[in-house]
Amino acid sequence: MKPVSLFIPCIVDQWVPRVGMATADLLRHIGCSPFYRPEQTCCGQVLYNSGHVREARKLARRFIRIFENDAAIVSPSASCVHMVRRHYPVLFEGAPVWRRRAESLADRVFELCEFLVDHMAAADVGARFSGRAAYHESCSHRYGLNISDQPGRLLAAVEGLEIVDMEGADICCGFGGRFSVDYPDISGAMAADKAANFVASGADVLVLCEPGCLLNIGGYVSRNYPEKKVVHMAPFLVENLT
Amino acid sequence: MKVTTEQYRRVAAREMADEYTKSFLRLLPARLAERRKTAFTDFSDPAAARAAGAAIRAGALENLPQLLATFEKNAKAAGARVFWARDAAAANRYIVDTARENGISGVTKGKSMITEELGLNEALAENGIRAWETDLGEFITQLLACPPFHIVGPALNIPVARISEIFLEKGLISRPEHDPVQLGLAARRFLREKFRHLEMGITGVNLAVADSGTLINVENEGNIRLSKSRPRIQVAVMSLEKVVADMPDAMHLIRLLCRSCTGQQVSAYVSMDTGPRKDDEIDGPEQLHIVILDNGRTRIYEDPVTRQALRCIRCGACLNACPVYGQIGGYPYGWAYSGPMGQVLSPLLLGFARTRDLFSACTLCGKCRDVCPVGIDHPGLMLYYRNRDAVGDPDFRGTGAPRPEKAVYGAYAIIAGHPLLWRVFGAMARRAINCYARGNTIGKGPGVLKGWFALRDLPAPPSRSFRDQWKRRHPAPHAARPASGRKQP
Repeated sequence: MKPVSLFIPCIVDQWVPRVGMATADLLRHIGCSPFYRPEQTCCGQVLYNSGHVREARKLARRFIRIFENDAAIVSPSASCVHMVRRHYPVLFEGAPVWRRRAESLADRVFELCEFLVDHMAAADVGARFSGRAAYHESCSHRYGLNISDQPGRLLAAVEGLEIVDMEGADICCGFGGRFSVDYPDISGAMAADKAANFVASGADVLVLCEPGCLLNIGGYVSRNYPEKKVVHMAPFLVENLT
Repeated sequence: MKVTTEQYRRVAAREMADEYTKSFLRLLPARLAERRKTAFTDFSDPAAARAAGAAIRAGALENLPQLLATFEKNAKAAGARVFWARDAAAANRYIVDTARENGISGVTKGKSMITEELGLNEALAENGIRAWETDLGEFITQLLACPPFHIVGPALNIPVARISEIFLEKGLISRPEHDPVQLGLAARRFLREKFRHLEMGITGVNLAVADSGTLINVENEGNIRLSKSRPRIQVAVMSLEKVVADMPDAMHLIRLLCRSCTGQQVSAYVSMDTGPRKDDEIDGPEQLHIVILDNGRTRIYEDPVTRQALRCIRCGACLNACPVYGQIGGYPYGWAYSGPMGQVLSPLLLGFARTRDLFSACTLCGKCRDVCPVGIDHPGLMLYYRNRDAVGDPDFRGTGAPRPEKAVYGAYAIIAGHPLLWRVFGAMARRAINCYARGNTIGKGPGVLKGWFALRDLPAPPSRSFRDQWKRRHPAPHAARPASGRKQP
């Protein structure tokens, strides 16, 4: 049983814990032994993206202290992994010791799909779903961490699932954290386009791997197309395990 | 041109309410992006072609002072006059003086972002010199007195009927004309007359080649070619980062530029001119003036982070890739430069105080970085600006984050620093927002969340967070957690 440390994004912790629970269940299902460090809070992305680097650095140090002895750290979010993998080393540019610690940690933090497919060779988790699904490529997956094939392979392995192409699958849904609050009309128009493409694709369900997109697209779809479903990959797979 | 970067939100709202702009934006950026993608497939290795572009631009910037000195020496040796302009006022003054000394009352212009940055047309007009834009799109926006919608196609969004109207009003046609080809022909006839009597032409520069002193312009209409070869006096205005070492470097950048810009392998015209007309040549200007503009770029160059913003070759690929540009179009950006390249350049040139929306209104999706042929990390730069602005860096005319914002983020950092506080505040926030819940859904919310809820719901958060649920399921955390010890996966 491979021990895996869970890195639970704030949105998941506070708003959609079932995504975190499903992540743990999925890891357990493929033979890992997930554990959770309850001291963890926020990786600092919220602060970093708003320009508050000094405060973000404080949380980064904290995060490193908590996780740096874990061999594999897995998160159901690419944007949080992106923060740790790409931005932490930059945060400590002028501090060689911390930078080394950040770089060492960066190599051991994985996004869930990437971990399942690339590191556990578990593209087929043994799920079955009869219906049609479209996949939304989050920006942090596609353009941040270059994770594009792995979610597709997880879906392709689901028995009975028909994957349909969705126009503009890789176009941002308009979440962008604070962007969605500061520029709600632009953000909402982007979510509207995404939802319209989803509906036009004819899929019954839209699968995605990013908690922020889940709130944004899910929130738009819930308001405007209540019969349609938007789900995160982890609960989607777990709830359909055979 | 007038800077309206402060009005971003207002103009964006206006544009998003415009049905015509909306339908236009649904088609064009995607089509241009598709053309770009197809055009890149004829590189045996498109990623390597872009990496080479990035290396050429980065290398040129590393050696910028030397390359500029070499360029100046070679351009002068070929007979050109070189003027170094510290700012827009100096550049405009030089160009106006040159026109006056030569008794010139009218000039033609090739499309150039740099003269938009200078506000050159206004400066010429104030001095009684009539400037005619000769690029069709630029000509239309000049007649309509509207800013450019796209850096490559300034009037791409203007409906044919509106063009017919303005051409009729300005006497280019005598009855309404809705055939775009006929409208193009009318503009061509009109502008040919301007070229026929042309004394002075003003163009921008795509690339300046240091080791030969050559100026390169890339275009599809031939108007720049005419502005460069027809008049007695030619003025070429370039920002100081346009210089590259040699012709092979320039050729590779042209390959990238044309593909990224319009999806062409090469544009219809590429003109390369070294100095004014020589004695044995049949055309070309008697005087060639090269204005090299700084306008704040030395400062951009000196900061190792912002230096990469100067790599930009103005291809416009980032505009077509940007999901925000795809909603609002070019006008909200409020100046010559729009889309991600504008969000990166305008704040450096104008200061942060009046451009805050440009680097804030970005989801950091990274699609611009993905298509950039010269390796600019636009999201990384915008994060840097947000930080410099939040701390109030005077070098960028940042004003510092407002006190309430600082307090909120400061409090957030303290709460996130203590798991107990995090747990308590999280529970309080969830309980507060759940007052608005109806069943499993929240459809409205207070204060800053009003905008979100205008268009979207949120799921009602559960009473127990992940950490609480985990604790209930795993009552003895020490048993579920292995001892520290590093293992590689």
